[in-house]
Amino acid sequence: MTLRSELATLAGRSSYWFLHNFMGGGSSLPGKITTAIDPDVLQEIGKNYEVIIVSGTNGKTLTTALVVQVLKEKYDNIVTNKTGSNMVQGITSTFLEAKRPTKGKKGIAVLEVDEANVKPIVEKIKPKMFVLTNIFRDQLDRYGEIYTTYQKILDGIKLAPDAVVLANGDEPIFHSKELPNPQVYYGFSNEPAKGDMKAAPNTDGILCPVCQHLLHYHYIVYANLGDYFCPNCGFQRPDLRFKVTDVSERTPKDSKFAIDGNQYEIGVGGTYNIYNALAAYAVGREVGIQPDQIRHAFDNNQRLFGRQEEINVEGKDVSIILVKNPVGTNQVIDLLATEPDSFSFVGLLNAEYADGIDTSWIWDGEFERLPAMDIKQFETGGKRYKDITFRLKVAGVPDDKHTIQPDLGQVIEDIKHMPTQKVYILATYTAMMEMRARLMKQGYIKGGK
Amino acid sequence: MTMNIRVAHLYGDLMNTYGDIGNILTLRFYAKQIGVEVTDQIVSLEDDFKADDFDFAVFGGGQDFEQMVVAKDLPNKKDEIIKFIEQNKPLIAVCGGYQMLGKYYVDASGRKLPGISAMNHYTEQQHEHRFIGNIEIQNEATGQKYHGFENHQGITFLGDDEHALGKVLKGYGNNGEDHTEGAVHKNTIGTYFHGPIMARNGNFSKQMMFEALENKYPDYDFTDLKAKVKPESY
Repeated sequence: MTLRSELATLAGRSSYWFLHNFMGGGSSLPGKITTAIDPDVLQEIGKNYEVIIVSGTNGKTLTTALVVQVLKEKYDNIVTNKTGSNMVQGITSTFLEAKRPTKGKKGIAVLEVDEANVKPIVEKIKPKMFVLTNIFRDQLDRYGEIYTTYQKILDGIKLAPDAVVLANGDEPIFHSKELPNPQVYYGFSNEPAKGDMKAAPNTDGILCPVCQHLLHYHYIVYANLGDYFCPNCGFQRPDLRFKVTDVSERTPKDSKFAIDGNQYEIGVGGTYNIYNALAAYAVGREVGIQPDQIRHAFDNNQRLFGRQEEINVEGKDVSIILVKNPVGTNQVIDLLATEPDSFSFVGLLNAEYADGIDTSWIWDGEFERLPAMDIKQFETGGKRYKDITFRLKVAGVPDDKHTIQPDLGQVIEDIKHMPTQKVYILATYTAMMEMRARLMKQGYIKGGK
Repeated sequence: MTMNIRVAHLYGDLMNTYGDIGNILTLRFYAKQIGVEVTDQIVSLEDDFKADDFDFAVFGGGQDFEQMVVAKDLPNKKDEIIKFIEQNKPLIAVCGGYQMLGKYYVDASGRKLPGISAMNHYTEQQHEHRFIGNIEIQNEATGQKYHGFENHQGITFLGDDEHALGKVLKGYGNNGEDHTEGAVHKNTIGTYFHGPIMARNGNFSKQMMFEALENKYPDYDFTDLKAKVKPESY
């Protein structure tokens, strides 16, 4: 290590220590300090690790957490950015705060990386594996189109041609470009490959990348994910090495399914979380972890689901779920449809930079499904409460069951008096963070992240 | 008599990037208030478009790849789209749809592609810059203000036989220079207001809906029904 990197690392580590112990923070500032002293510091620290990068639009955080959980069956001291700081500085901080690997032995790091930050990170550290979840339309004001988002990831992958690309085979875009890298695909194979259907009208990424004909599907898992094929030129889903072979139970709190014939259970609902588990399984299998060890890892996953936790507010079971784009929203609505009890629904919409400043995407969410569910009360709030309120009106939510409350503090008061035991809050990023902070202040969420 | 509005969602499976379908959902919402039925149908690559089959059309915005594919197919539907427009039927074209109805447009990679010249505007490309953000305009005929969100790299200049949808009060509009936003020709509106322009602007929705109805049912007196619709704007 150069003297400059030495100094930079020292400054970064001590600022982390100070922030962590005295200020209760430290997720990206140490990275900023260190990078300012030596821009190449990540390269120096990263050399000591075998790195797995997880990227894509949805499911990065949970997939990363599950991969770590699975790898714990074989490795100690796995470095990971579990606070979700997934850009260059956050990742530099992650390495700085980590315990140094034993001399002469490489450590292992599993990093969630923002789509646009894959390239700058791979410029510094050469990963062993890329795990790709999906590319959906997301925050168009920040990233642009799905094809440009994927191109940003590819620009990073190209810098590490030896790394294995472990990608969602059900996502057509991941099969659209030639890569020198070894490629492995995972996906759903729980239904017979017989049907012939098209994706729903609001779906992106449904043109054949070879001949530009509309893609058809033998079956669709959700959105544009599934067993796709082009009736015109024969382009089709690649062979899957790791497959979901059965889905036997889905509730908001539980999913039971089989991968490659082995039964698994995760304590969280949503088909998208089965994809996340499948990705983690695939990573585990690629590095030689056995199916029963993976089952053991999944059984210990209860504490991983920070974005979908249950909070007790004066006896109410409150779940806050992050929503940020149409596909994610539709998956959450699908999850609510598996709720056996009656519940109350709260929709909180903000349009700050971190939420995406364009709220048009809510019109592509299938809120029309809500009135048919056993929902006793609806409440809409947040800074853009007028947008989400009108969206629900148009979806057919009756006025007499619908209250409007822009003030998130008052939303918490209202929740205490809602007519059901269960309350689901769908919130965009900054609304979710503000709700969490308020709930923490009132003692409903224990400290820490 | 039960009245209805038949909506064509032009390339709705490929050109719906910015919640454009919100326009159709909003139309249905207001139509329901006066007992008018709204049906909608996607007209895409492999389908024929017949002007006589529809009373209202939405042509949304697309991503570059999809827009390129649609541009190749569009000549097949050109004559019927022009017929539809010239029959005074309302059409809302957003972003990419707006650009393709004009004379030509230059896409993000610099290619100059022909439009179908249903309207006389044309679209150039600005480099390394996009117009992104909230926008507010004033319609000079009605004095009404419309709110929306724009996110476009193309810059559009109006041609003969068309006038702007409004004067820009806040934001960029067609080209960031002449303070115009959108284009109007007969009852066809081209605009950079993302997707749900009708959702956020109730007065505009009401106007478009009654244009469709008056065009389809010329002998009916809509005075009472107009009084019944309560537009919401935000």
